[in-house]
Amino acid sequence: MLSRIADSIYWMSRYLERAGDTARLMEINLLYLLEAEEDMSEGDKWRPLLSITSAETAFSGLYGEGQLTQGRVLQFMTAEKSNGNSIRTCLRLARENARIARDRISREMWEAINELWLNVDQQLKTPLHPLRASQFFSLVRSEVARFHGLTSTTMMRGEAFGFYRLGTFLEQADMTARILDVKYHLLLPDLNLVGSALDYYQWAALLKSLSGYEAFRRKYHAGFRPMDVVEFTIFEQEFPRSLAYTVKRMHRALADTGITGKQRSPIALERLEAMLAGNSAEQIFSTGLHEFLEEFLAAIAALNQAAQADFLDTHMEEP
Amino acid sequence: MAAISSDTSRKPRISYHEFYTDGFTPREHYRPLWEHIQSVGQNAFEAKVHESQLALHAEGVTFTVYGDSDEGIERIWPFDLIPRIIPASEWNIIESGLKQRVRALNLFLKDIYHDQRILKDGVVPAELIYQGKDFRREIMGVDPPHDIYTHISGIDIIRDEDGKYLVLEDNLRTPSGVSYMIENRVIERRILPEFFAKYRVRRVEHYPALLLEALRAVSPRGTGQAEIVVLTPGIYNSAYFEHTFLAKEMGVELAEGRDLVAKDDVVYLKTTTGLQRVDVIYRRVDDDFLDPLVFRSDSTLGVAGIINAWRAGNIAIVNAPGNGIADDKAVYPYVPDIIRYYLAEAPILQNVPTYQMTDPEERAYVLDNLERMVVKAVSESGGYGMLMGPASTPALRKEFAAKVLENPRNYIAQPVVQLSRHICYMDGELEARHLDLRPFIIYGDDIDVVPGGLTRVALTKGSLVVNSSQGGGSKDTWVLAE
Repeated sequence: MLSRIADSIYWMSRYLERAGDTARLMEINLLYLLEAEEDMSEGDKWRPLLSITSAETAFSGLYGEGQLTQGRVLQFMTAEKSNGNSIRTCLRLARENARIARDRISREMWEAINELWLNVDQQLKTPLHPLRASQFFSLVRSEVARFHGLTSTTMMRGEAFGFYRLGTFLEQADMTARILDVKYHLLLPDLNLVGSALDYYQWAALLKSLSGYEAFRRKYHAGFRPMDVVEFTIFEQEFPRSLAYTVKRMHRALADTGITGKQRSPIALERLEAMLAGNSAEQIFSTGLHEFLEEFLAAIAALNQAAQADFLDTHMEEP
Repeated sequence: MAAISSDTSRKPRISYHEFYTDGFTPREHYRPLWEHIQSVGQNAFEAKVHESQLALHAEGVTFTVYGDSDEGIERIWPFDLIPRIIPASEWNIIESGLKQRVRALNLFLKDIYHDQRILKDGVVPAELIYQGKDFRREIMGVDPPHDIYTHISGIDIIRDEDGKYLVLEDNLRTPSGVSYMIENRVIERRILPEFFAKYRVRRVEHYPALLLEALRAVSPRGTGQAEIVVLTPGIYNSAYFEHTFLAKEMGVELAEGRDLVAKDDVVYLKTTTGLQRVDVIYRRVDDDFLDPLVFRSDSTLGVAGIINAWRAGNIAIVNAPGNGIADDKAVYPYVPDIIRYYLAEAPILQNVPTYQMTDPEERAYVLDNLERMVVKAVSESGGYGMLMGPASTPALRKEFAAKVLENPRNYIAQPVVQLSRHICYMDGELEARHLDLRPFIIYGDDIDVVPGGLTRVALTKGSLVVNSSQGGGSKDTWVLAE
C-alpha cells in the first residue's frame, strides 16, 4: 500500500486511541475528585492529568503559572485548539487522517469517526459544564470503542489492518506507562497512607483509568499492594492494557504490515521486548519504577520513529 | 457568433418552467410525482428532508470552500429532495448532441497538437489558439494512447426561455460532480423509495465501472496490466470527496504527487514494500501543476518527469494535458464550426449566443449593455472571474469594462439567458429556482453518456448562479426509460 496512507492509518488509530484514553482519564479524575480529601488544592487534583499527557508547559504557557483550576483544565483538555492532545484536536486529526485514507478504510469506520468528530466539535462550541462533563467523556469513550468494534468486523485483514493495530497498541502502551508513572509518583511517597481509605480510592482510580479495576480485584485479594498493581499493569499477559500484552500485539501487528526488508522497527521493538522478558516486579522495584517507565517510554518513542521511517521511506528499487 | 441585430436580450423574457406548464398544472411526466408529493403531507416531507440531511452529514458528503482557516471549510453537499425528470425523447437529443460534440472536440485537440489543419484552413483563428493560456506547445506531436484526449467530459447544459437545450460550457479538463450525481441518487432512493416506484428511471451508479473500463482501455501495457491511480491535489481540494469516492468505487489507489516518482520515463507508486509501476493516471490536478519540470516549477502537487513518461508512451494521463485549449471560453463560440469541420454534420445542440471581445463592434455593444450581460473570464471556472450584469453594481461594471479593454482575449460575453426553473422544497414551501445540468461523457473504447447528470440549483431566489462554490445546491436527475 501507499506509504503515505500507511502513515495516515497509523496516526488515525493513535489519535483516536489518545482521545479515548484522555476521556477515560478525565472521567475517572472527575469522579475521584468528588471523593477527594477536603484539603487538597484544585491544582493538586488536576496537575497529574497535565503531567500524564505532558501538557504542563503548554498549559502554563496559555494561562500563566499557578492558574490551575478545574474549569481551565476541563477546557484545555477537551476543547483547546492549541493543545495538540486535547480531545477535540485528537479527534480532528484522527478524522483528518481517516479522510486521507478514506478509500482504504471501511465505510462503517469512516462514518463512525466522522460522526464522532461532528458531534464532539458541535458539543465543544460552548464550554463544557462540569456536570455535563462525565456524560461527554463517556460518549467519547464508547464511540471510540464502537469504532474499534466496527473496525474488527469490517476491515480487511492485511497490511492496512496491521498499521491500524500497530498505532492502537503503541498508543495504549504509551498511555499505560504514563499513567503508571504519574500515579505512582503521586501515590507512593506517603507510605503512612497505605491501607487508608485515600489509598484505596487512588489505586482504584489508577486501575479504572486502565479499565482494569474489576479484573484486578478478581485476581488479587490482598487489597492494593503496589507490587501487585505493577505486576498486573506491566506483566499480566491476560490484561489487554498491560505493557506485556500490548507489546506482544505490536509484534503481530508489525508482521501484518508486511514492511519486510526494513530493519529499524523490528530492532526497536526487540528493545521493548527485552525490557519485559526476564524482568519482574521485584526487580523493577529494586532499580526504581520511575526509571524503568522512563526508559520504556523512550523505547516506545524510538519505535514510533523507526516505524514511521520504515513505512515512509520507500526503496527506490522496483520490487 | 451572435448577430447583434437578432439580440433579444433587451426584452426580458420569462424563464422556462421545468415542472409546470403554467403556474398550476404539472407537465405530463411530472404528474405521478406531483400526486405523490401532495399525498405525503408536509410533516412527513419535512421529516424526509431532515433524514436526508442527517445521511449526508454522517456520510461526510462534502465539498471544500477555499478559505484561510487551517481546518478548511468543509460544507455538506446541499441537496433538494424533489427530483428533476427528463423524458426519454428529450434525453435522446441531449445524448446524441453530447456524443457529437465530444467526438469533434477530441478530433480538434488531436489536430491542434499535430497538423493544425483547422488553423491552416482558417476555420479557427490561429492567434486565438496560440494566445490561449491553456494551449501547451510542450506537448505538440505527442500521441496519447488511442488518440483520446477527452476521456471524461462534463458539459453544462441549460434550457432557454423556449425550453430549448443549449450548451453553456464545455469542461474537458477535470470536470467534477459525478460523485454527487451518484450520492444524490443513493440518498433519494433511500429516503423516498416510493418516488421511484412510479417511474422507470435509468441508472447512473455504474459510472465508476464505466470509468474503470475506459481507464483500463488506455493502459499502454494493455488491459491485462493496468495499474491505475487517481491523482489528487489532497484533502484541501474542493473536490477531494469526489477523488476518494472514485478511487474507492474503482478499487484503485488514491495518490498525491508526492506518492509518485518518475524514473527512466516510467512512473512508480511509493508503497510500503517498494516501488510499484503505474500505467494509467486519472489526474485531478491541473496541467499547470502536473509536472514541475515542464509547467510550473514551483508546483508541489505534481510529479517531476511525468510528462516525459507520457511522451515516451509509458503511461496514459487522463484527461490528456493540453485539453484546456478546447474548453477555453474563447474557443467555445467556434465549437459549432468545429463540429461541421471534422464531422461534416450539423450541430445537434446549439451554443448560447456569445460575443467575442476581440471583435471591436461586438465589444462596444457589450460594454454599452453590461447590465444585461454575463461576462466570463475565458480560463476561469466554478463561477470565479465572472460578472452577472443584472446583479452587478455600477462600480463592478466599470471594473469589468476596464478589464475587458485591457485584455479582450481574456473575456467573452453572453446575453443573460434566463435559465429554466424547477420547484424546490425551501423551508416548508415549494418555490421555483433556476437550474442547469451537467451530464458526464466517458470516451473509452466507445463514447458513453451516463443517463442523468448533476442538476445544479441556484438556491437563492432569482439568482442565476448555480455553482456549489457560490452557494448552489443540487437535485437528483432522472432520465426516463422509453
